[in-house]
Amino acid sequence: MSDSTDERTPTPYVESPIIMATVRIITPFVFTFGLFVMFHGADSSGGGFQGGVIVGTIVLMLGMAFGIETTRNWVGPKLPVGLVGSGVLAFILIGTGPVLLGGSFLEYHAYEIHHASKYGIELVELAIGLIVSGIVTGLFFVIASGMEDNGGETA
Amino acid sequence: MNEALEIALLVFVVGSALVTALLRDVLGSIIAFSAYSLGISIVWVFLRAPDVGLTEAAVGAGVITVLFLLTIAKTVRPTGERTVERVNPGALIITIAFVAVLSTTVFALPPVGSSESAVVTDNVTNYYLENAYTETEVNNVVTAVLAAYRGFDTLGEAVVVYSAGVGILLVLQKEVFE
Repeated sequence: MSDSTDERTPTPYVESPIIMATVRIITPFVFTFGLFVMFHGADSSGGGFQGGVIVGTIVLMLGMAFGIETTRNWVGPKLPVGLVGSGVLAFILIGTGPVLLGGSFLEYHAYEIHHASKYGIELVELAIGLIVSGIVTGLFFVIASGMEDNGGETA
Repeated sequence: MNEALEIALLVFVVGSALVTALLRDVLGSIIAFSAYSLGISIVWVFLRAPDVGLTEAAVGAGVITVLFLLTIAKTVRPTGERTVERVNPGALIITIAFVAVLSTTVFALPPVGSSESAVVTDNVTNYYLENAYTETEVNNVVTAVLAAYRGFDTLGEAVVVYSAGVGILLVLQKEVFE
């Protein structure tokens, strides 16, 4: 799981059992909290942006605990970009749906379902959350990459 | 009590900002910057803007700190014993002049919680506050404005984040793997 630093120049990654155990325990709670903030944005402070950042932090924590390279290989290069793209696409689809149904852009009431506005806003928040968490994850991996190339000179 | 807390908070924020600027060790600077962000996020809560406070705490104190730390991991620590950066007098004068010019706008702002500020008397604000729940069915007016009344703006922001993010990912990935 954490053999990313074997036979390699020193990196900022320390293979600490304390950090690993802590991250393993708190990750589900942080994820739940992120989703809570995302969905609860309609009724109290919070929303897609804040929740998305919190969900994105999970990958940062995993990277800190288990090695960034390992986490990157586990997540894969396509997931962050896919998250961002599908978030924007979902937002645009939710927004233009009412136009097709004869309303104006983002006019949730055009969807003929109960509490259309409420659910529409929740979905938009979720889409924003996808975008933000994807960007946070992608930035983290891209900025952290290249570390092993330069590690020897810095340490 | 509240006032004393606010003053202590402002002193903390300004102090950590100064420490960020003056420390010679970049690692120390980043830690001080994270403390500064945390202080600012509490300032937002004092100003009754918990949404902004949550964002500042998550992005400013959390993610940005990690990204900065990853970046400086690729640099070398400065040699020498000094802990405080030597201040360039010219830069100091320009900075103080700039801050003074910006500070003149502070006097144009209404006092915090004033009943005559534009926020309270503005028709648009009052319309949002009165009709947000009946029209959008969400309790948080900030969310109602963000995702319903100004939804098109938010879509624009989302697309800006998307294009900026994808652009950065493309450029950096190219540099990393070539």
